[in-house]
Amino acid sequence: MSSALSLAHEPVTGIRHGKLGMWIFLASEVMFFSGFFTAFIILRNTNLPVFAHGASELNWPLAALNTVNLIVSSLTMAMAILSLEHGNKSKFQLYMGITFLCACGFLVIKYIEYTAKFSHGIYPGTSSFFGMYFTMTGFHAIHVIGGMIPIGWMLAKSFTKRGYQDWERVEILGLYWHFVDLVWIFLFPVLYLIF
Amino acid sequence: MGAGMSVAEMQKSYIKIFSALMIFTFLTVVAAKFLHFPESWGGVSTILHVSIGLIIAIAKAWMVVYIFMHIKFDNPYIRVFIYIPLFLFSVLVFALTVLGGPTL
Repeated sequence: MSSALSLAHEPVTGIRHGKLGMWIFLASEVMFFSGFFTAFIILRNTNLPVFAHGASELNWPLAALNTVNLIVSSLTMAMAILSLEHGNKSKFQLYMGITFLCACGFLVIKYIEYTAKFSHGIYPGTSSFFGMYFTMTGFHAIHVIGGMIPIGWMLAKSFTKRGYQDWERVEILGLYWHFVDLVWIFLFPVLYLIF
Repeated sequence: MGAGMSVAEMQKSYIKIFSALMIFTFLTVVAAKFLHFPESWGGVSTILHVSIGLIIAIAKAWMVVYIFMHIKFDNPYIRVFIYIPLFLFSVLVFALTVLGGPTL
């Protein structure tokens, strides 16, 4: 038992390796997005009229809907982990399925927003504001897609004969998924609201 | 997951956080789109809007980290991975906004 424990957990802190790795990755992710946010601050403070005008062209009700989308998916992800931890397979599949659908819904709304911008002749090169807008939301959307792959994989696996029992892995995926929600929590007011 | 908490108690705290996140999202939209300060306030109104938006975002982020990401219940060592990037980011933002000259 003790050797199994020392293999699965970091010996000093007692944190499971997978979870420790995810938290280190998330710390690096914070710095990754910090680069964008600080670039945004510099560009905004030196081109305030450009940014105010750009933000006024964004569709904030759609973005608010997407915020709700991600908050719901965060709740269902937390519920899915709790369900699997206590061996409730059907609840896990239900909550994980809703999480996946919310992620799909998020991308559909994002697609609608992007195509509306393109049809109005607005591209990343249109202004410094839209350069930042497309970069930040684009990287965030890539993170959503990156989360959907393991969510879909675990969900599909739970429908197989062997099922899926490793709730600690789902918990680690959940950390990532909540982080994606967290980034959007900041993107929403910064891009759409505060001008 | 939560030390000594039953499934029902955990679910209850998740639902509580979810409701709070929804209410705060509503508040931030109302504050940004329907709360107008007098024209004569000029730049102060922008400062207020930015402050309200960011304070609500920070509160929402903390709720997600504390409950959904299990910081309240989990190994306290994990907090290091929040404090270090948070500190570095704050230094960066402080340098850009306060030390970086005129804003707004």
